[in-house]
Amino acid sequence: MSVAQAPAVETPVLALDNLTKQYPGVLALDRFCTTLERGEVRALLGKNGAGKSTAIKILSGAVIPDSGRITIEGTERTIRGPQDSLRQGIATVYQEISLVPALSVAENIVLGRWKRIKGPFPIVRHAKGRAFAKAILDRLKIDIDPNMAVSRLNVAQQQLVEIAKAVSYDPRVLVLDEPTSALPQEQVDLLHDVVRTLSALGTAIIYVTHRLHEVPKIAHSVTVLRDGKLIDTIPVADATPAKITELMIGHDWQGMSFERHKKQGLPALQVSGLSTSSKLRNVNFELYQGEVLGLAGLLSSGRTELLRAIFGLDAMSAGEIRVDGDVVHAPSPSRMKELGVALTAEDRKRDGLILDFSVVMNATLAPIDRISDHGWLNKRKARELTGDIVKKLDVKTTSLDVDVAALSGGNQQKIVIGNWLNTNPRILMLDEPSRGVDVAAKEQIFKLVRSLAAEGMAVLFVSSEIEEVLDVCDRILVIHEGEITGEYDHDAIDLSTLMARTMNA
Amino acid sequence: MTETTTQNRSAKTNLDWRHFLSSSGLLLAVIVLFIFLSLVAPHFLSSRNLLNVLRAVSFNGIIACAMTLMIIQGDIDVSIGSAVAWSSSLLGVLVIKMGWPLAVAVPVVLVQGALIHTVAGYIRVRWLVPSFVLTLALFMMLRGAARQITNAFPISPFPSGFEFWGGGTIKFLGLGLPVPVLIMFVTFVIFYFISTQTVFGRSVYCVGGNENASHLSGISVRRTRMTTFMLVGLLSAFVGILLSSRIQSGSSQIALGLEFEVIAAVIIGGTSLMGGSGSIFGTFLGVLFIGLIGNGMVLTGVSPFMQEIVRGFIILVAVFVSILQRGTARKEG
Repeated sequence: MSVAQAPAVETPVLALDNLTKQYPGVLALDRFCTTLERGEVRALLGKNGAGKSTAIKILSGAVIPDSGRITIEGTERTIRGPQDSLRQGIATVYQEISLVPALSVAENIVLGRWKRIKGPFPIVRHAKGRAFAKAILDRLKIDIDPNMAVSRLNVAQQQLVEIAKAVSYDPRVLVLDEPTSALPQEQVDLLHDVVRTLSALGTAIIYVTHRLHEVPKIAHSVTVLRDGKLIDTIPVADATPAKITELMIGHDWQGMSFERHKKQGLPALQVSGLSTSSKLRNVNFELYQGEVLGLAGLLSSGRTELLRAIFGLDAMSAGEIRVDGDVVHAPSPSRMKELGVALTAEDRKRDGLILDFSVVMNATLAPIDRISDHGWLNKRKARELTGDIVKKLDVKTTSLDVDVAALSGGNQQKIVIGNWLNTNPRILMLDEPSRGVDVAAKEQIFKLVRSLAAEGMAVLFVSSEIEEVLDVCDRILVIHEGEITGEYDHDAIDLSTLMARTMNA
Repeated sequence: MTETTTQNRSAKTNLDWRHFLSSSGLLLAVIVLFIFLSLVAPHFLSSRNLLNVLRAVSFNGIIACAMTLMIIQGDIDVSIGSAVAWSSSLLGVLVIKMGWPLAVAVPVVLVQGALIHTVAGYIRVRWLVPSFVLTLALFMMLRGAARQITNAFPISPFPSGFEFWGGGTIKFLGLGLPVPVLIMFVTFVIFYFISTQTVFGRSVYCVGGNENASHLSGISVRRTRMTTFMLVGLLSAFVGILLSSRIQSGSSQIALGLEFEVIAAVIIGGTSLMGGSGSIFGTFLGVLFIGLIGNGMVLTGVSPFMQEIVRGFIILVAVFVSILQRGTARKEG
């Protein structure tokens, strides 16, 4: 042992060597190599789909790599699954909180590992579990009562409990997947303190984030991924926001270009002073006929919340919405539909489609008034409208009567959009229309959006792919933590600046 | 990408299975049962016996129509037996104790039935109270109220002529068709059209299939749910009146356990408790199936206790059939 400790260069805690994961059609991670030292905090950055989540999933055992080696403290390991990952010394804290709200902090930390009384009876020794949890909270200098029910904690505190739970497995490496994305600014410091404490105790930390400005505060080094490839690992001193966004985007980006009409019509939608209790703060903007207005922002920046509030799905705490100049009192989906407003939801499986219903049913959910007469359905009309949509949007389906679940993602998305186009809307709000959609369908959808705008429709376009927003939109609003922080003409801003703006850098 | 394509494939192959099981499967079972009983059970094939089978299921069948919509929209109602008894008792009190004419009392009973359930529906949608809990409360309250106003004694007699609706017959093709059977057939036809041809019917399926997507598409989820509650209340009151006519008294002790017989018929008819799928025709077959099985067991001298076991077992089989229908398609979703 004493000999092994001798080398001048300390053995890295974690060494990844040529990790590769191929999904059908996508090389998600391509020969990824990196090493982490004891106590090092490594920021892992990259756009959506750059390979960050694949890398994390490999470490946490959720995904088995096709090839490559993982070495922990000098010993090569094979991670066979989530439980195995914990045993091998890697603990992962995901973005979504996965605590049991009704149980106490201590019970959550020892969840599934209760200390039992010796003997045949499965009686839990709660005191012992509490002491164990308390010791870990103390070690991390987290000031939370272990007896408190998790449901009474705020999001940041819950996130800290998640970390304490992960640390209770005594990991060599802790992976934090966007731990601050759901936190308000003032709670972020709490979390950073705990990360520093852990780092001082020698745990290596992989820290995934989209908030560029927290990188210098917390990380020692920065690794950037793009299209599944390692782009570079640089010390934090060199990692200026400009440098990072340049690495994230690369130089080879070639946008799609669409024909644009400079002409702007009358304001179709006017939003003023819009606030909600949960997220939005004093949002003001106008959407004009014939334009595509983009909403660029990070995952929990409030972009979806804004569309939901306009559509009457979330209650407004203040503000006013005007459609064609008239104030909308108490907006609701059916009211907005009457006014000619449409919203295609971000999560089409949850909010957009009824998966085990037919294509016809799904394409005529919203235009139910158009396919009925005094409450009686006109099924021929429904098939007609659906047929039109299938033709216009080039939906690939064997018949109008198959379950919509049998369609590919792109074709499902077309049905969602078609459902709303069938209502003849004048204002179309699209939330992530390209999510889970193949490239060809994506381009078709964007072309459709442009041609709808050319016909005079007002389109509000949300995407987490900044490139798409820049490609498709005439004008772009940047939203950050529930506030509109900038407005740009599409030809007045370049991609890396826009990306930096969404990250508030 | 492969994930989606395998999903596509399983969804497609499942389609045939599902459709087969949910409609033709039960129809086949009813036919096979019918043939089987005509071979083994004495007197089964007589028109008198067959009419008895229909009469026995007619009251349940009428309520089962509305219950089908209730279950398709993802709700459930366990209060209907109590609602029937309450309506019967109320009718007895109004007509016999207070001397109201039937022409006034019957509409009043119908309206209060619809109203009580509409209020329950409002509580359901306004405070998101699970319908099971809500109707469990109604189940106890209405039965209690029925006993309270009647002291748990039947009230009789109703004016003569009233017995026609629950006990009378109408000559049809040389057969004496019981009036409640005729009413059941009419109710099934009406609800078949409601469920397949109207905006309300489609909304019921959509709300049960995916409440979020329906709400987002501007379908009035609340109005739809409340309307179904109202229909269940209305038909329960209606059956309460028919049963009063049949037994010639207002009684708080009738329709004990009716809710579960009706729910059983709906489930055997292929309607999923998960919501979003089911059919009125399936429920019709479910009602027939239960009636035939019960009749067959009586005719062949199966003990009443054994009959209960068999009925329970049939529900279990129906549940497994619906698991088979959904199983593979749901696993990946």
